[in-house]
Amino acid sequence: MTRSIIIAGPVLAALCVPATGRAQPVAPPPGGGRGAAPASYPPYTRPVSTFVPPKTADGQPDISGLYLAIPLPRGIETPLVPIQNRPNRANSEFSFSLNERPKLPDGAQVRPVGVDPPDGKIPLTPAALARRKEIIANQEKIEYLDGRVLCLAPGIPRSTIPAPVVGYQILQKPGYVVIFYEQNHLYRTIPLDGRPPLDPHIRKAMGVSRGRWDGNVLVVEVTNFTTNLDNNWVIGAISATPGVPAESLTTGHGIPHSDQYKVTERYTPIDANTIHYEATIEDPSVFTQPWTIAYYAFARAPKDYVPVEYACFEGNDKNLLLMTNTDISGIRVQVP
Amino acid sequence: MSKPLARIGGAIGLALLATATARVGRGEPLAGASARQAQSPARGASPRPAAPNASAYSGPRTPDRKPDLNGIWQVLGTAHWNLEAHSASEGVPAGFSVVEGGTIPYQPAALARRNENFKNRLTADPLRKCYLPGVPRAMYLPLPFEITQTPKHILIAYEFAHATRTIFLDGTPHLEDLDFWMGDARGKWEGDTLVVDTASLGDKTWFDEAGNFHSDALKVVERFTPTDATHVAYEATIDDAKVFTRPWKMTMTLYRRVEKNLELLDYECAEHVYEKLFKGRGGQP
Repeated sequence: MTRSIIIAGPVLAALCVPATGRAQPVAPPPGGGRGAAPASYPPYTRPVSTFVPPKTADGQPDISGLYLAIPLPRGIETPLVPIQNRPNRANSEFSFSLNERPKLPDGAQVRPVGVDPPDGKIPLTPAALARRKEIIANQEKIEYLDGRVLCLAPGIPRSTIPAPVVGYQILQKPGYVVIFYEQNHLYRTIPLDGRPPLDPHIRKAMGVSRGRWDGNVLVVEVTNFTTNLDNNWVIGAISATPGVPAESLTTGHGIPHSDQYKVTERYTPIDANTIHYEATIEDPSVFTQPWTIAYYAFARAPKDYVPVEYACFEGNDKNLLLMTNTDISGIRVQVP
Repeated sequence: MSKPLARIGGAIGLALLATATARVGRGEPLAGASARQAQSPARGASPRPAAPNASAYSGPRTPDRKPDLNGIWQVLGTAHWNLEAHSASEGVPAGFSVVEGGTIPYQPAALARRNENFKNRLTADPLRKCYLPGVPRAMYLPLPFEITQTPKHILIAYEFAHATRTIFLDGTPHLEDLDFWMGDARGKWEGDTLVVDTASLGDKTWFDEAGNFHSDALKVVERFTPTDATHVAYEATIDDAKVFTRPWKMTMTLYRRVEKNLELLDYECAEHVYEKLFKGRGGQP
């Protein structure tokens, strides 16, 4: 039965990978390319929440519980064609479809998640854009593959970009917020005691988190991300639109970060059921300026939802063989 | 989305469940284990009184009056390399047996397979493929793990391969049609002892690097008995009628890591697989 869990790995992987290396080329949208006038959205304003959560035993705002991802527009960046509809089963503009889905709060705007700079574009340096073109053009090679398809821990904020298997358990214990991600059994422990950052020689795939409560908003600075591999991309929706060249991609794929990468997150409880998420992303080696994504991220899960194990790497060798003709099944590594 | 897919394996899961049910019918696992425990307490532990709330535990407690297990823990010892007594070999420290009675009670054919596993261990140990370590092996890897404790759940985050366990304390039963590398763990407090019953473990993990193994009939019952603020007497009763002649028990001590500002770091095993692959292909472009 273990094998049945493994089946999900390739399926998710197929959803995640930009298919540009394999799919039939598709012409970019009319007037395509980064120079074209994008669809316009009103300027982003950070939501002001009047909701006051209960308190934990140690006095933190209590946002603990089991949440599900709210489906997002597929575009990280502003698309050339405005998003027409709210999420529903048939609307492929959204990150995933399920029969029952968490709902956006009333009045929440459906828009791409890139909210700053106001043009909604990821402010890549010329070198980062060139690297992105190289990555997107070489997706049949495992060296260029999305780390999420390799079943690596995808870092922050990518772990909060919705995918079909995305329960989030938020736990709180004195001095800490702990997040368990159902996807690929990821976790983070976020200390709230103001401790200093770790030595820059220590790096983690999910970064090193330092949190504090700003009123009822959890603010987390994440640094010390690993740079062992270039496959850990900053962001990326489920899948890129097949055939779209890198300069027209709006799905965020193909952007590795440097060792200067830093993310500042804000988790804002909007009501008893909904958490709004904002992340400001900085990396002077990759971006010309800090940029920000924001969206309604988490909705409290139905009572009957049970998180299960998502074993991603186990058995993914078959998927990688199919996708890249690379056999990793014979590789053995030293363990401590 | 994984759930409908996961249910493809329902038939196998049901077969596993049927096996488990049959074993319960023999009346062995739980009752037998606790009876033996009363006679031979874990090394370093006080004998556990049968009555709840009559505990010798004097460490900190959570708001719901349970022993506070929050924090980072680690086993010191050599169980990860070999559960049984062994001399040192290259890269492997010598160690005492953690198995009650010293030796694992294999059926003859299973012992032959364990010995074959041992010969092939450097390639056959699933951990060297960076697979999830399973239970109980995750508990005694030579890497720390962090416990987050609430009244309804105990979550364990392991430094190795960012493995996790969620132990449900909410009285919900095991899932019936799924199987997990890290098992399906349901726990309850018996006085100050946390008792965790883990099922649906599959047959793809080993107990140690020496090739000690199990089948898909494995059931593990763990008892976490804190003796003070920094020590937990840990025991795991292993029940697998396809491999062993009887249930058997391993005991060890969990030590609280008390270094200031300690936090879990990474052993992102899969990264090292790809590093090795890319290096062999001339490096990542």
